[in-house]
Amino acid sequence: MSVTLRLAWRNLWRHGRRTWLTVGAMVFCNSLLVFLISSQLGSYAMMIDGTLGFLTGHLQVQEQRYNEESKMRYTVPDGIAVAKALRDSTGNPAIAARGSAFALASSEDRSFGIQILGVQPQFESAVSTLPGLIDQGRYLQSSDAAEIVIGTVLARNLKIGVGDEITFLGSGRDDSFAAGIATVVGIINSGITDVDRAIAEIPLNYFQSIFAMEDDVHSIVVKVDDLDKVAPLKKQIQSQLGDSSLTVLDWNQLQPGLGQAIQADMFSSFLTYAVLIVLVAFSVLNTQLMSVLERTREFGVMTALGVRPGQLGRLVLLETAIMSSLGLLLGCVAGGLLTAYLAHTGISLDAMKEALERYNIEGRLYPQLSIISLFGGPLIVFVGGMLAAIYPALRLHTLQPVAAMRAV
Amino acid sequence: MTAIRCSQLNKTFTQGDQIICGLDDVSIDIEEGSFVCLSGPSGSGKTTLLNAMGGLDKPDSGEIQVGDKRVDLLGKSDLADMRLHSIGFVFQAYNLIPVLTARENIEFVMQIQGVPTAQRRDKAIAMLEEVGLADHEDRLPSQLSGGQQQRVAVARAIVSGPTLVLADEPTANLDSTSATQLIELFVSLNRERGITFVIATHDTRVMAYCPRLIRMEDGKIISDEERTGKSGELQPQPS
Amino acid sequence: MADHQPAAGILFTLAWRNLWRNHRRTLIMLIAIVIGVWAMILFSSLMAGMVDEMVRGGLRTLPGEVQIHHPDYRDDPSIANSIDAPQGALLERLNNPPVTGWAARIKVPAMISSERANRGIQLLGVDPAQEVSLGFDPTNIVEGRFLEGPDDKGLVIGRKLAERLETRLGKRVVIMSQDPDNNVADRGIRVVGIYQARLQATEELNVYGGLETLQKMLNVDNQVSEIAITGDDFRQVASWWPQIQQATGPELETVPWMELDGYLESMMKMQTSFNVIITVVIFLTLSFGLVNTLVMAVFERVREIGLMMALGMRPGWIMYQVLLESIILLGLGLLLGNLLAVATILPLEDGIDISALAKGLEMAGMGSTLYPSLRLSDMVLSTVVVLVLGLLASLLPAWRASRYNPIQALART
Repeated sequence: MSVTLRLAWRNLWRHGRRTWLTVGAMVFCNSLLVFLISSQLGSYAMMIDGTLGFLTGHLQVQEQRYNEESKMRYTVPDGIAVAKALRDSTGNPAIAARGSAFALASSEDRSFGIQILGVQPQFESAVSTLPGLIDQGRYLQSSDAAEIVIGTVLARNLKIGVGDEITFLGSGRDDSFAAGIATVVGIINSGITDVDRAIAEIPLNYFQSIFAMEDDVHSIVVKVDDLDKVAPLKKQIQSQLGDSSLTVLDWNQLQPGLGQAIQADMFSSFLTYAVLIVLVAFSVLNTQLMSVLERTREFGVMTALGVRPGQLGRLVLLETAIMSSLGLLLGCVAGGLLTAYLAHTGISLDAMKEALERYNIEGRLYPQLSIISLFGGPLIVFVGGMLAAIYPALRLHTLQPVAAMRAV
Repeated sequence: MTAIRCSQLNKTFTQGDQIICGLDDVSIDIEEGSFVCLSGPSGSGKTTLLNAMGGLDKPDSGEIQVGDKRVDLLGKSDLADMRLHSIGFVFQAYNLIPVLTARENIEFVMQIQGVPTAQRRDKAIAMLEEVGLADHEDRLPSQLSGGQQQRVAVARAIVSGPTLVLADEPTANLDSTSATQLIELFVSLNRERGITFVIATHDTRVMAYCPRLIRMEDGKIISDEERTGKSGELQPQPS
Repeated sequence: MADHQPAAGILFTLAWRNLWRNHRRTLIMLIAIVIGVWAMILFSSLMAGMVDEMVRGGLRTLPGEVQIHHPDYRDDPSIANSIDAPQGALLERLNNPPVTGWAARIKVPAMISSERANRGIQLLGVDPAQEVSLGFDPTNIVEGRFLEGPDDKGLVIGRKLAERLETRLGKRVVIMSQDPDNNVADRGIRVVGIYQARLQATEELNVYGGLETLQKMLNVDNQVSEIAITGDDFRQVASWWPQIQQATGPELETVPWMELDGYLESMMKMQTSFNVIITVVIFLTLSFGLVNTLVMAVFERVREIGLMMALGMRPGWIMYQVLLESIILLGLGLLLGNLLAVATILPLEDGIDISALAKGLEMAGMGSTLYPSLRLSDMVLSTVVVLVLGLLASLLPAWRASRYNPIQALART
């Protein structure tokens, strides 16, 4: 250990309590930041999974205009074959074609305007969680049977159950009259009222024949297992599609609200963190200024002995660096342990249930501990602490040795 | 009448791994109105004895009676009250509260005693006049010389009319003129008001004024000489 | 022994002067407290503004703060579950304060079709005057006109729906729903107005027709789906909605907004806990500095404390003195922090434009302008938290100061 380092270390522990209180402020702030940022990232992941997982997927191939104006006639030609080609070329099995139409669905007692999806039963479960949420009956099997699965709230509103028939009326791609009768084979209970009120799925081939789609579909849904794969996959699919009228949209384009909701939340959270960091920096400023002022006489002696103010300034910065490193280390350990524990057990979100249903989030929040969430906040606190020590360190340059030695 | 009676006081301290004998079987009687010096080298036990008399420190064993109170048996709050009303203290240095002016320092004691404002103020000004600092009432301690500070401390010590003043090395930081002025102030207060003074000192200038000189060493009293005559009648002797 | 009153005056003088003895340290701490208090109030106001906006928007969508329905309507919003329009005691109740507006409306799911497309919508049969009293703003009509009376034969649809249906003002669309006997009831109606709403989802969902026109189409006489009621302040609803319930009677269901929209209620609850958490977290971060300042202040005054004790000041008073110092510091910080908060928030109350994040905010049920709302309760909350917790944090240094042994304290160099 160099002499300067030893000196800095001993100086810190001349006022052990003060040093610990300052370090304590940093540890508190750092642990909090680790926990909050990890929870934030965890909740964003849940929001993204929750919102995209039910239906949207991470990428969709659509006709260029369809996302803006979802009209029946903006279709992906020969969609089932395109989906198959994409599955083969990308090696990603979670790719499925869909059709979508509005129709008046009627049971014997009731009628509701709903959106009907035509899905590929054998592939749909790879891109959407809904097939796994069948509560009664079964999911669709054959790709051209006159069968339908609906959400539990819709079933209740229509006053029907498994085995009953639903008539639906709408218009086909060519504006012709479209009508069909399908048997309810399954009822989906996602636990999210809005989903359960709206969902109705029929087999894609059946959908195509009812709504005069021929071999066309409206979208090809792609799901990935890692958000980082979205961008490269999007590029690959886009190049494969070439200059056709089709386009690939990522989740940010499909659900612009989601990314913006995350941004809005990030912005407000970072505002809060900024205030906390500024407060900790003030704490450091106070401690270091005190420590410089009370050592005026000592510094005077050192200056008289030939130590340059710059070297004294470095001593003060070094002391701050030791203190901030302690805060960083202990804060990361404390925050990391707390977060790791909660990442294991999860945090109950029951208190916010209703609010989170908006993002299809249910159950428990699992904070995501990563390099960024573990060190991001604490490093900024470290930098804040060092910045706060600049003023006390600079004061040393104004030191007059004789006057300083006379000071008490 | 006896102002202070100490019998068989014992007190030990530990410093590092050494056991130091602060007081070793000390017994003395001090008469009311007397002017007594405790002298001896540092570590001889004079400050410890003084602190024990003022109830600032408790002996390990033995009895101390000040007036009609057994100091060694009183609790913290009662001791605080005793110091507030019956005993005046003058210390070596840092006698005054730095954020209060000379007058406020004197008023401080009365304020905790609950003396009404107007009365307090008049009394403080009168006291300042008595110690010769009438025109310094609004100065902070840092704006007063060492001797002036000590005189303010004396004024504060006697303002509530105590019968006993305990002074611990009051002249240690003073030049000889200020020291003489201070000790003559003590003498005049002793003679005019009959206040008992016990002064711990190793300053020969002070000892020269004392009719009774108690010498201590290693926690024991090694001599207790009475000289005839009242305080101040003795002339300073060359040491 | 004299019984002395605590001399508060001298304690205050000592505390105040001691505070400014090391003015740099005190100023730094004071600035930190001011920033902390300011941030507490600012964040609470932003949150309050956000939630207020969400709730108000949500209530406009509901609409009304209290709704009366057939007991089965909420589960099965069919025309079969209709009720009579208000009369008698209920009508009397609705026409008097604190109710400021109400509307008896038909609200049923329906299908709307243009030549090009069709959609599922919510069909509203309304008396336009009542809708306006409930909060519908006729200036939101961007093309054509709003309905002119309950017997208006036209239809008013949202801008987004018009886009989706590829229809426009003056065109005919077909509305399909069902009557109480489950027969399909349909009718071609001309679009006479197009409105814009705060949320796109609203524009796509709500379609307005004349109450009497739709009653005729759906084959119901003077029956409605719901009675929506509004008062002055949505926060006060809990105090008056039981009166409505009483006037309505037990055979119908009377529901306040807290039950109608769980999302809104949970946002309100979240706001309260958010405010408390943010205030406490900011305070805790501050508290380390506060305790540090006090510990230092006590540490460098040990001799004086010894002196005061030697002079007869009781240990308790030493403690009060340190606590008083803390209170003065906190009080000043609170005062300045509150003033700063008022000075920054009041100019912002006209609204902060956050339309860059409009879609995300819409997802959360918010419009694209944030109106911070400065509230006394938030200022009181921060003041109480800072004072109470601040005093608690100061207790330790203060207590330690009072525990010094006067001799040792005096001997300290």
